[in-house]
Amino acid sequence: MLEDEYERFRIDARKRVLLLGGLQGGLFLLLAGRLFQLQVLKGGDYKDLAEDNRISWNPIPAPRGRILDRFGQVMVDNVPDYRLLIVPERAGPLMPLVARLRKLVDLTDDEVEGLLKQVKRQRSFLPVQVKDNLKWEEVSRLEARQHAFPGMMIQAQSRRNYPHGNSAAHLLGYLGEVVGRDRERFSRVAFRSGDLVGKTGMERAFEKKLRGDEGISEIEVNAVGRQVRQLRASQPKTGEDLVLTIDMALQQDAEKALGNRAGAVVVMDPRSGEILALVSSPSYNPNQFIQGFTSNAWNTLINDPKRPLSNKVLQGQYPPGSTFKMVVALSALGEGVITPTQKLHCPGYWSYKGHRFHCWHRGGHGWVDLNKAMSQSCDVYFYRIADKLGIDQIHAMAGRFGFGQTTGIELGGESRGLNPSRNWKRMRHRKIWFPGETLITAIGQGYLSATPLQLVNMTATIANGGTLYQPSLVRPRGGYEPRVLNHARLDPEHLQLVQKSMEYVYYGRSGTARNAKPETVRAAGKTGTSQVVRHRRKTEGGKPIPEEQERFKDHALFVSYAPSTDPELAIAVIVEHGGHGGSTAAPVAQAIIDAHFTRRQLRWERRAV
Amino acid sequence: MNSDKRQKRKGILTPSSQRLTMEERVYRFPWGLFLAVLAILGIGLGVLYSATGGDSNILIKQGVRIVAMLMLFFMLALAGEKVFRHNAYLIYLLVLLLLVAVFAMGHIGMGARRWIDLGIMRLQPSELMKVALAIALARWFHDRNVAKGIGLKDLIGPAFLIGLPMVLILKQPDLGTAIAVAAIGITVVFVAGLSWKILLGGFVMLGAAMPLVWNSLHDYQRRRVETLLSPESDPLGAGYHIIQSKIAVGSGGVLGKGYLSGSQNLLNFLPERHTDFIFSVLAEEWGFVGAIVLLGLYAIVVARGLFICMTARNRFGMLLAVGLLTMLGLQVVINIGMVVGILPVVGIPLPLVSYGGSSLLTTMVAMGLLAHVSIHSKSMSRTV
Repeated sequence: MLEDEYERFRIDARKRVLLLGGLQGGLFLLLAGRLFQLQVLKGGDYKDLAEDNRISWNPIPAPRGRILDRFGQVMVDNVPDYRLLIVPERAGPLMPLVARLRKLVDLTDDEVEGLLKQVKRQRSFLPVQVKDNLKWEEVSRLEARQHAFPGMMIQAQSRRNYPHGNSAAHLLGYLGEVVGRDRERFSRVAFRSGDLVGKTGMERAFEKKLRGDEGISEIEVNAVGRQVRQLRASQPKTGEDLVLTIDMALQQDAEKALGNRAGAVVVMDPRSGEILALVSSPSYNPNQFIQGFTSNAWNTLINDPKRPLSNKVLQGQYPPGSTFKMVVALSALGEGVITPTQKLHCPGYWSYKGHRFHCWHRGGHGWVDLNKAMSQSCDVYFYRIADKLGIDQIHAMAGRFGFGQTTGIELGGESRGLNPSRNWKRMRHRKIWFPGETLITAIGQGYLSATPLQLVNMTATIANGGTLYQPSLVRPRGGYEPRVLNHARLDPEHLQLVQKSMEYVYYGRSGTARNAKPETVRAAGKTGTSQVVRHRRKTEGGKPIPEEQERFKDHALFVSYAPSTDPELAIAVIVEHGGHGGSTAAPVAQAIIDAHFTRRQLRWERRAV
Repeated sequence: MNSDKRQKRKGILTPSSQRLTMEERVYRFPWGLFLAVLAILGIGLGVLYSATGGDSNILIKQGVRIVAMLMLFFMLALAGEKVFRHNAYLIYLLVLLLLVAVFAMGHIGMGARRWIDLGIMRLQPSELMKVALAIALARWFHDRNVAKGIGLKDLIGPAFLIGLPMVLILKQPDLGTAIAVAAIGITVVFVAGLSWKILLGGFVMLGAAMPLVWNSLHDYQRRRVETLLSPESDPLGAGYHIIQSKIAVGSGGVLGKGYLSGSQNLLNFLPERHTDFIFSVLAEEWGFVGAIVLLGLYAIVVARGLFICMTARNRFGMLLAVGLLTMLGLQVVINIGMVVGILPVVGIPLPLVSYGGSSLLTTMVAMGLLAHVSIHSKSMSRTV
């Protein structure tokens, strides 16, 4: 750069820098002026204010609303939580005190260390927490010897409690300390750090309703901060109770039936869309989030390959496998590409454009009509009708059952699943749709994926004659008003054929779920097995992969409704890496149906007596 | 020829022939600036000790940081002349990458994703961006002949340089730092010769956009502005900070309540008093006198910065210096303005005093660069 040019630039820039400097100087003077105003002119007033900065506002937390099941059984409530506090200046020498306290309460070294630190930091007239979460025996032991411990206080607070532990944890959710994101989410509510708010599940979705309004107690404090008296207190307003559509007994039946296998079960009332049970497995204990984790326990929880923290009912996306065949069958009947009695031959595969598409039954099903195709889940039959239908028809019918769309259930974080179409593939993969892909879509594989919630909704729609309800978890006080998402507009005759064929899944001689028939009522269902790995390798490095290797095993699915006339329950079951739907998932549904109708029978008998 | 003569008459060295040896650099070291910075750091440590209720752990931690940062300061100040100019874009790019990395692996705290955990400290790249942007813009205008004033066309490059990090920082979300970055950028462009027409037009547009900005603010941000106007309306919520801070500052009076005896401080009335609200602890315990002394020290640094800017050896040095001193002055004004209740509460630390690593790192880097520009300045002035 030339010197002259720099000089010229410098002359202009100097002016500008001086202007900026002047501006900054002005701002500094403004600050100085404000300090002069606050400290010198009004200093006396503020000194008085600080001197009797007497009012200290302390929040009184409001107990959160409870969460109840449809029959009023408590699923979440609050229990008193006792904290032991001491006022150091009245308690005497600290170490002997700790030694004496240790005889009465279980004090860890960490807690003692924390106490010593706090005592050093705070002024000696302010109470310091020794321990929280006292056991009831500890409280009574301490209270009996209260006179021996001057300056000791036992304070009761209310603590969130999940009496059923792991049960329904994904549905209920858990609480955690408030962070900035929460503040923005619930902008109307005032939070302080350390406050607990709902992080997941119903606790999160209904935070505003459950939370209530905290009270404020105004306490007069003298110049050194000692409490003098309470001036005024506004009482807290307890949060509202939340009544769920869940049937806690059924929920626990479902949990028991699934056991500790990874998977999901969801039970819905097909007459209204009310969710009766929602199980995602494995589960966790929401109480732990209140009491705190050891870092070890936390790491185990978040690194578990079975993903205990995710809600598989809403977030798990699985290929529906053969449970999707009802949709294809209804589409085919509606389009008239097949009649119910028309038979197609299954030799165990179908050759299509130089490819062999195999049936799950390698030996073949022989001549197959609709009923047999459904009850024995013949793949070849569905390849052939899908070829006549085309993907557009299948996509349209699946859309009528809610595939590829969120249901709008009250819990957030729901996945959409995927209902593939030509258009979707063009946008997503920039490729055209191949006819072979239609065939695998028809047996619920390929791009197709659905959440267990979508599967139960499909099942309920078949069961109730074609109404797609919005699944719901909450019973409002004024009574439940079902919301309809869509009328599937199905020919009643076609629907009846499909329903009948679903009964044959249980009651047909070779029905795929014939070994898992419920004993209490007549039911209908459909098995499904969804491939985890498209072309499963049978060998790895020359050695055969052992059958029990979990990560390669197929997912087992089953959907069902019962009773088959006037259905009251619709169920979807998925067992991750469970193998075959008929042998692994169907017994889960069987156990749930039997438990439910046995219990109902008992209630009837009791009433009759 | 003419200017050469003039310079020789004034006894000024010709810049192009100037290569300073290490002894010369040490000889030209701006002791005044350094001592003012040292004094502020010392006051900061003292106030920190009081604000944390005598927590020696925090004090030691901050002390160790300060020692490390002072070494960094000397390294930057005594570095070779062209190091920063030549690597300006590289530095900018590195910090930009760090900002991107925040999204990939950033640590979430207080609801925003701002930090990268480096083990020894949590780095907040948006802080470093302030310095990196000043360096990059200074280089940009250093390379270009904009003697006729900067028009709209000349603004395309700088707009990207400023806009890119701003978008990333807004995403975190961190409105306060984004505004600071923008202010630093605009200042540098202004001194580089932004035409008055554009500047005026910009102000008019900004004024017109105000309602839009207001609507795009988060609820909690709007509440902060509203509570500034009437803090008493929400004494337990957003207004609490302002009320208690004003009482602390005001009750300090002329001479203060004395070290370690501020009742507002000791009785836990002041929240976040070792970070963003540390100034109110100082004002309470040392009174008007103490507050003005600190403010004066900052004024010395800013004034020294202005002088360095005026005597800078080339366009790069001049623009860099103005960017850096704007950064410091702006943060001081915003932080103290918020503590004394004339600006809304935004999370901006008090440079060199608030507890925390990233802010200290950034400010010390800025001070080091300022000293660097001073050492390589045109004049041989050794004025304080």
